[in-house]
Amino acid sequence: MNEEIAFLTVTGLAIVRALPVTVVLALTSALGASAVAVALVAAQATRVGRPLAQVWIFVFRGTPLLLQMFMVYYGLAAVGPIRHGLLWPLFRDPLFCAFAAMTCCCSAYIAEVLRAAWQAIPPGQVEAAQACGMSRWTRVRRVIAPQMLRLALPAYGNELVMLIKSTSLASTITVLDVTGVAQTLIAHSYRTLEVFCLAAAVYLGLTAGLTALLRRIERNLERGTGR
Amino acid sequence: MTEVLRARGITKSFGGRAVLRGIDLDAQAGDVVSILGGSGSGKSTFLRCLNLLELPDAGRIEIAGTTAPLDHDRKGRPRIADPRALNALRAKTAMVFQNFNLWSHMSVLDNVIAAPVHVHGQPRGEAIERAHGLLDKVGMTGFAQHWPRQLSGGQQQRVAIARALATDPDLMLFDEPTSALDPERVREVLDLMRALAAEGRTMLIVTHEMAFARDVSSRVVHVRDGVIESMGPPDAMFGAGASPAFRAFLAH
Amino acid sequence: MMDADLSPLVLLGGGPDGWGPALLAAAMLTLAVAAAAMAIGTVLGAALTAALMSRRRWLARAAATYGLILRGVPELLVVLLLYFGAPGLLASVAALMGSPAPGSPPAFLTGCLAIGLVSAAYQAEVFRGGLLAVPPGQIEAAIAAGMGPFTRLRRIIAPQVLHRVLPPLGNIWQFNLKDSALVSITGLAELMRVSLVAAGSTRRPFLFFAAAMVLYLVLTSASSALFRLVETRGQRWAGGR
Repeated sequence: MNEEIAFLTVTGLAIVRALPVTVVLALTSALGASAVAVALVAAQATRVGRPLAQVWIFVFRGTPLLLQMFMVYYGLAAVGPIRHGLLWPLFRDPLFCAFAAMTCCCSAYIAEVLRAAWQAIPPGQVEAAQACGMSRWTRVRRVIAPQMLRLALPAYGNELVMLIKSTSLASTITVLDVTGVAQTLIAHSYRTLEVFCLAAAVYLGLTAGLTALLRRIERNLERGTGR
Repeated sequence: MTEVLRARGITKSFGGRAVLRGIDLDAQAGDVVSILGGSGSGKSTFLRCLNLLELPDAGRIEIAGTTAPLDHDRKGRPRIADPRALNALRAKTAMVFQNFNLWSHMSVLDNVIAAPVHVHGQPRGEAIERAHGLLDKVGMTGFAQHWPRQLSGGQQQRVAIARALATDPDLMLFDEPTSALDPERVREVLDLMRALAAEGRTMLIVTHEMAFARDVSSRVVHVRDGVIESMGPPDAMFGAGASPAFRAFLAH
Repeated sequence: MMDADLSPLVLLGGGPDGWGPALLAAAMLTLAVAAAAMAIGTVLGAALTAALMSRRRWLARAAATYGLILRGVPELLVVLLLYFGAPGLLASVAALMGSPAPGSPPAFLTGCLAIGLVSAAYQAEVFRGGLLAVPPGQIEAAIAAGMGPFTRLRRIIAPQVLHRVLPPLGNIWQFNLKDSALVSITGLAELMRVSLVAAGSTRRPFLFFAAAMVLYLVLTSASSALFRLVETRGQRWAGGR
């Protein structure tokens, strides 16, 4: 019994020590993906950018993130200009490769969420802004962006939950995040169930925390429109 | 008298169907012009062409001395030549919509001050002071901090009228302002529009309220099949001199 | 001859040095994993929906907890747990029943089950949403017309639910297809696994990962086109919406 408690404590501590890797990866790729997604939506409003953005979204939504990570980490390393280029120190780092793959992949999903929100804005809201002479930029800033934010938030939150879960794939390209550490612990102890349950609890905590936070923001925004 | 609106030869078709087939209309400062006609006659499209929410295929629009920056691309499709000039033109007008279109993410006050502050560059404090005065005027005192969806349709439309008045527009466009209201709410909006007409606002009103058109308008315009079938002062239009087509429309 | 010198056409072709047939077979296996997972997810998801909407509080709560966990934990973790955990679990079950340890279960089964367990959690949400979206008036009208429960389900509820759940089910199918790549860690020779093996043995990772991406794109876009076709057909069937 004592041995059991000691094992769980040691395992739990090891997993918690890997938590910063998972959190940093999730945060940076959430920021990166959101920024790229905004750029993708903006690009879709231009004639040249439209097909490029569509190909980006098609490729990254249509293939598994696992494959994308392998492509960035192992595939690009075999490409001469990258192997011998200035960016090689970055692409040699598995954590950076995980960040790059997740940013590309999640940006495609988030861009679709944003586009759907854009299309869900009632046309009358934009017409009223046009009718009083607001410039394009003022319309985006004062009417379109705030309405998009409200409409996109629930689906955007879902994408962020997916993103947190996806960080576990980084373990397959040697990143020692929560899942990576859990796998190492199992290889040493063969106590699969206990270790995985501890790791699962960590992810559940992260996703549940994010869900609760988003619900709170949503409620505040709704109160802000008198619902 | 100052000319506020001069529209010449406005045509517009949607997917090969001609909705407007050459409309000319002028308005002087203080005119209240009611535009009547059956559904599908093109009266709303005409109104939306004046502030270029719809781009007319051909024609010339001048509002308070500013010409609408209309142009055509190589395929002959209408386009806007200069977005800045477009916004300047629209800033001289204000529109009141059938479905109010109050911005749902802004309070009543923010709706009213948005155009003065963000289009005309008026200092916020000044705009707020003026907005409170306008809310008093439309009978919405004390609602400044409410949200659009907390208001009834009639209240929303009165706020929308305050929003339209906030920039002191040269020309006010009303697109069926009472059509989406419950019958018992129609009067509060019509009474307010009556008061605006009495104080000399220049108004173009697309409406189905015949009694209102007769009492308030300086001119009544009957649109049928995309052209002005007849127009004149209300006494003539609703009296013995009316055209047979307008009489048939009224009887319908 | 060194593999690194072979042209991409030879490597991806059908010759003795070509991986083409292996990749295509692997793509078929990917499709099979996704389809089996989808089927498991539909059956289990329907059961979960029934539990979620049950009047028995504990049952509804148990189903909700299942969904919360399976939707909140990384899919990779579920696959790993089943792959590494199943032999031990099977052994202890066998020991309880007094039979010898059966060894590890087949990778295909473990993989489908893992993806299917996750899929079920998402499908249950979709079914529940579809059922709740049927206006009560529709059912009342059916009762008023004298329809029995079976006729109601078949003629009124099912058509309305079906056209509401098809688009989100199509989404889940796409996720199943992509999640099936996770099963590669069990060694099952599906598309991800075979592209890894090919990349390793020829030392041309870029080429083979790119080829795998193209094959995944073919699978995802072909199936989404198919779903769209069924949707439009279904809409016509459900009354021309």
